[in-house]
Amino acid sequence: MKEKPPTVFVVDDDEAVRTSLRLLLKSVGLLVETFASAQEFLDQFDPDRAGCLVLDIRMPGMSGLELQMQLNDRHSIMPIVFITGHGDVPMAVEAMQAGAVDFIQKPFRDQDLIDRINRALEKDKAMRGELRERDEIRRRMSQLTPREREVLELVTQGKANKVIAGDLNVSQRTVEIHRARVMEKMGAASLAHLVRMVIEAQREN
Amino acid sequence: MSPSRQGGEFPSVAELELRAVLDAAVDAVIIIDSDGLIESFNRSAERLFGWSTAETVGRNVSMLMPEPFRSQHDGYMHHHMTTGERRIIGKGREVVAQRRDGTLFPVFLAVGRIEGLEPPRFVGFIHDVTDRKRAVEALRRERDRAQTYLDLAEVMLLALDARGTISLVNRKGCEILGWPEDELVGRNWFDTCLPAELRDDVRGMFAQFFEGNASPARYAEHEVITRSGERKLIAWRNVFLRDERGLVSGTLSSGEDITEQRRAIEALRQSEQLLRDAQAIANLGNYEFRVPGGQPYWSPQLYRILGMDPSRPPPDFGGYAEQCVHPDDRERFLREWEQLEGEGGHLDLEYRIRRPDSSIRDVHAIARMHREPDGALKVVGTLHDITERKRAEEEMRQTQDRLTQFSRLSTMGEMAAGLAHEINQPLTAITNYAQALQRLLAAPQGPDPADVQLALQQIAAQALRAGEVIRRLRSFVKNREARTEVIDPLQLITDLMTFAEPDTRINDIRLRIETAEPLPPVVCDPVQVQQVLLNLIRNAIDAMNEGGTTQREITIRAAREGEKAVEISVEDHGPGISQEVADNLGNPFFTTKPTGTGLGIAISRSILRAHGGRLSHRPTPGGGATVFFTLPIMPGSQT
Repeated sequence: MKEKPPTVFVVDDDEAVRTSLRLLLKSVGLLVETFASAQEFLDQFDPDRAGCLVLDIRMPGMSGLELQMQLNDRHSIMPIVFITGHGDVPMAVEAMQAGAVDFIQKPFRDQDLIDRINRALEKDKAMRGELRERDEIRRRMSQLTPREREVLELVTQGKANKVIAGDLNVSQRTVEIHRARVMEKMGAASLAHLVRMVIEAQREN
Repeated sequence: MSPSRQGGEFPSVAELELRAVLDAAVDAVIIIDSDGLIESFNRSAERLFGWSTAETVGRNVSMLMPEPFRSQHDGYMHHHMTTGERRIIGKGREVVAQRRDGTLFPVFLAVGRIEGLEPPRFVGFIHDVTDRKRAVEALRRERDRAQTYLDLAEVMLLALDARGTISLVNRKGCEILGWPEDELVGRNWFDTCLPAELRDDVRGMFAQFFEGNASPARYAEHEVITRSGERKLIAWRNVFLRDERGLVSGTLSSGEDITEQRRAIEALRQSEQLLRDAQAIANLGNYEFRVPGGQPYWSPQLYRILGMDPSRPPPDFGGYAEQCVHPDDRERFLREWEQLEGEGGHLDLEYRIRRPDSSIRDVHAIARMHREPDGALKVVGTLHDITERKRAEEEMRQTQDRLTQFSRLSTMGEMAAGLAHEINQPLTAITNYAQALQRLLAAPQGPDPADVQLALQQIAAQALRAGEVIRRLRSFVKNREARTEVIDPLQLITDLMTFAEPDTRINDIRLRIETAEPLPPVVCDPVQVQQVLLNLIRNAIDAMNEGGTTQREITIRAAREGEKAVEISVEDHGPGISQEVADNLGNPFFTTKPTGTGLGIAISRSILRAHGGRLSHRPTPGGGATVFFTLPIMPGSQT
């Protein structure tokens, strides 16, 4: 499935700052979308879109920090780079604790901001990759029969076929057939690969 | 002369001589025998008693006496004859005699016993003392009258002899000295009635008078001491009493008790002194003059205030305006005086005077004018030297200005975060545009001209934006004199938003301006009023950060308040103002903030007081506080 290229979402109430950021980021070839308020961004928020958020920490109405909370509630994985003013260190710390990638103090060198944005985009990409892999493992696991799932569970617990046959009260041969079907359906190259996939699948998003 | 003997014998020479002597005697001469029977009765006796010799000779002499002496006379005679005791003989005395017609008259009786005859006979010389008695009586009446005069006199009259013994003192004297007359007369004046410290001096002077070494002081004042020990001041007038040889025998003095009079004079003097001192202390002079004519009166302090020579008479009104009033104030001074009558005769004016030494003083003049019955105008007034007060006021004003300035800076300091943000924003934008341009220009495909255009235009605009913030900041915190302008209240508020808005924004508070109608211009010092407003907004922000409702909004409202004022209010939704805070609101250095100076409200209050308004507060409906004040509308503006 073909994805849209990652987008930098800029939320700042100051029009001059907003517009200048758009031009700056455009000049380095980034795709930019700007929003004058947190609410405006939230209204069109799509968790499937790749990219990162450049967010003014202080804004009238919904502040940057409040937007971060709202996105966390929605299980957004989008990395956030906060833009702070003088003396906003306490707020920046709070933002970092709530999962922000980074912050940068106004005014800033363009390269510093671009580096941070790139790191955020990489992180987004990586996280989206992981997310996609996990989804694939879960999809494959959903194709297993109940008996195959039982076998998968016991195999990944490190039990030998003979033990599994005893547990399930079937012949060792039957266990071997199920095990081969599980390896095939899950696309596992080895037992170690299979175990890693099961652990991955059990991770929370 | 009738014969005194019975018988026809011729009298002897001795008898004739005796008779001639007896008849020539002025006094009555009566000879009686030892039984009291008259033997001889001379011509003067006949004249005196109205009896003839013939009628009396041989009769008892008691016929010439009134009762009870008449009945007692025989007893006297007998007593004398038997005892030899002499009661009257050789002494003489005043007795009462009776004439033939029964009338009584005083006589002086001298009786002699004629020795050598047995039994003895007695001769009586009787002198009519009616006239003398009358004279004595007249003298006594005269003396009594004199005493009455003395006693009636409202002054003390006192006579002293050469030793200083009191020989006379009148009733007033007794009254003043507190002694009864009979106890005082005969006492030594100096020892009894003079205070110890004066005694020797006065006695010495007194002695010198008598020795003729000093002429008497006709007038003197000195204290006496009364019986009860009280001191009284007496004004004395003295004359000498001289005896028949012309020598000084004593003094007669009249003394007036001037204690009360002197006390009143002293009280008056003191009260005049008090007035002079009070005027000197207050630096307040007073004056009076009449128009037309009449010599103006200036109090000594007025001379001092004006630096004029007090030995010279004050100038008239025109002269005063010319010599004393500062040339720059003269026209105003004269104009005010001209209007004086029209203004109900009351003048209240401050102006400057120039002293002859060219120093300049500020004075406050208050005067009242009224018309006298004769049609002349009378002006009474005071002139108060207020130079020091003016100077103090000026210093006070400067201190107030500095404090106001300090407070403004301090408020600005509290707003620094917001202001830094406000300058940071355009700087950030400028930086971004510049860096974007660099990148766009460096790109191989070249920049989009529209982007370059946008970036350059925005760089300029944002630089101006930052500059404007700094300009306003400078004009706000600049050290400046207070000055009054006429300004649209809405303009005043919106101009302030440069400072207020960033601060509210970074505190996530919405700042709203609400005006219900077009408002008339107000008269005020815009920067000072903005300082007040900023302070109130700052307080509102702090209050809302403390707690209160969830409505994060501050509303600045301007509305017409009556005919003459516009009310400006700052409405917050914080926790409101507690009673404790309300009680202390505006006390200098009272603050609820950890880093507050406690001067904000105090200075806001004094600023508003200077604008003729005051700072008040009321609860915001739904929670919070509304602090408000009024500004005067420019007179004559209609909206």
